[in-house]
Amino acid sequence: MKRFAFLISGRVILGAASVAAVLLSYSWVTGLPDNNPALLPPIPHIGEAFVVNVTRGTLIDALGASLYRISMGFAIGTSCALVLGCLIGWYKTIEYLLDPLIEAVRPIPPLAYIPIVIIWFGIEEFSRVLLISIACFMVCVVNVVAGMKNVPQVYVDAASTMGATRFQIFRTVAIPAATPFIFTGFRIALAAAWTTLVAAELIAAPSGLGFLLQEGRRYFLTDQVMMIIVIIGACAFTMDRTFRWIQARLTRWSEARE
Amino acid sequence: MSEIVVENLSHTFGKDTEDALVVLQDISLTFASGSFNTIVGTSGCGKSTLLKMMAGLFEPSDGRMTLDGEVIRGTDRRRGMVFQQDAVFPWMTLAKNISYGPRLRGASRKEQAEIEAKWIDLVGLKGFENRWPRELSGGMRKRVDIGRVYANDPDVLLMDEPFGALDAQTKERMQAELLDIWTITRKTVVFVTHDLEEAIFLSDKVIVMSARPGRIRHIEEVSLPRPRSGEMRLTDDFIQVKRKLWGMLEH
Repeated sequence: MKRFAFLISGRVILGAASVAAVLLSYSWVTGLPDNNPALLPPIPHIGEAFVVNVTRGTLIDALGASLYRISMGFAIGTSCALVLGCLIGWYKTIEYLLDPLIEAVRPIPPLAYIPIVIIWFGIEEFSRVLLISIACFMVCVVNVVAGMKNVPQVYVDAASTMGATRFQIFRTVAIPAATPFIFTGFRIALAAAWTTLVAAELIAAPSGLGFLLQEGRRYFLTDQVMMIIVIIGACAFTMDRTFRWIQARLTRWSEARE
Repeated sequence: MSEIVVENLSHTFGKDTEDALVVLQDISLTFASGSFNTIVGTSGCGKSTLLKMMAGLFEPSDGRMTLDGEVIRGTDRRRGMVFQQDAVFPWMTLAKNISYGPRLRGASRKEQAEIEAKWIDLVGLKGFENRWPRELSGGMRKRVDIGRVYANDPDVLLMDEPFGALDAQTKERMQAELLDIWTITRKTVVFVTHDLEEAIFLSDKVIVMSARPGRIRHIEEVSLPRPRSGEMRLTDDFIQVKRKLWGMLEH
């Protein structure tokens, strides 16, 4: 137990050390006499931009708008991926029907849909959520299918010789066996959601973190741009850690290395 | 009653193609209700294939098998199977694995708990109820496999080299325990192994198969008295049977 506690603290210390190293070198560079703070703002300036945006309320609004889009897009995209991925991975007929279609569409970057989505649906909230959903779906579905295909045959045979129906095997064997894959799919989808979100907001949004980035570029507010970048990183990190935690709780049975 | 009859069964992989491979030829066997039967043969003689067909995991290309006169088609809870590989579900605790079959058929929590208690005790895993399979040794996981199939109450037990991966001592102990459980339940067992001693120790009837294509070479009725204990392996009667059958196996 003691050793375990030590490992945990060692892990936190190591993680913090790498972040601290980056921050220190950054402040050293920005502290050099010939540094142009308009291009490379020192850390206090970035902090100031944070305070200003919080007091004006712009940051909270932007964060709210972006998180709303992320959660909607993520929920819709991964739900579709879960349902379709399970069907494709489990039923041969559906696989033969849908797999070529998905494989043909998958390599297209979600951002390539921006023009057509804007033409069809305008610069609306719906368009942005749709783009994020597409991005999440495409990366997630592959993992769900892989998870279903990797269910060991002996588990399926064991369940079926105990009298389980095809659907019971799907529910009691395939889904749990595929859980680690499915969660990996969720985490990749989350990263894809952030990428797409910022890109979509840069191009077409009256609000959101991408909008604040765009505003920063227009008015040359480098500190604001830097601040938003850090915020995005922090949000994505927190979400990913939350997912990992849930995953660890749900797959306590797994022999996978921590 | 739960008698399995195999009639004129042949199986060819890739039938009607150029590289058709005959794995089983003209197999006719009867496994009497309540008897312990073992099929021995070198690897490649098709013994596992035959067993999987009895389970209904795939169909023979010719001939048929019946359980109490009913043609075997597809899997059924009446024909339970213990596999060579580890088939314990890693995402369920030991107890949940044991009660998996009854749970499929909507057994109440109380019934499940009773079945769990009974079979965990019988396979000697008391105290490990809430462990994950990854926390158990290979021998313990095999016990879970066997307990889980028994808890599902099949008519026939099909066992495909279940002790193949265990060390010698564990193997002997598990053989004795398997006989104990079989004595209590008196279910028809068809056991596949390449270990002659294991076959003789366990069975009423040993079926020796030859390879390529798999055929029945000899059927030996083992008349050694029951209950059997480990020392029996050293008696003259036992060794005599072993010597006779040893010459029939292809080495």
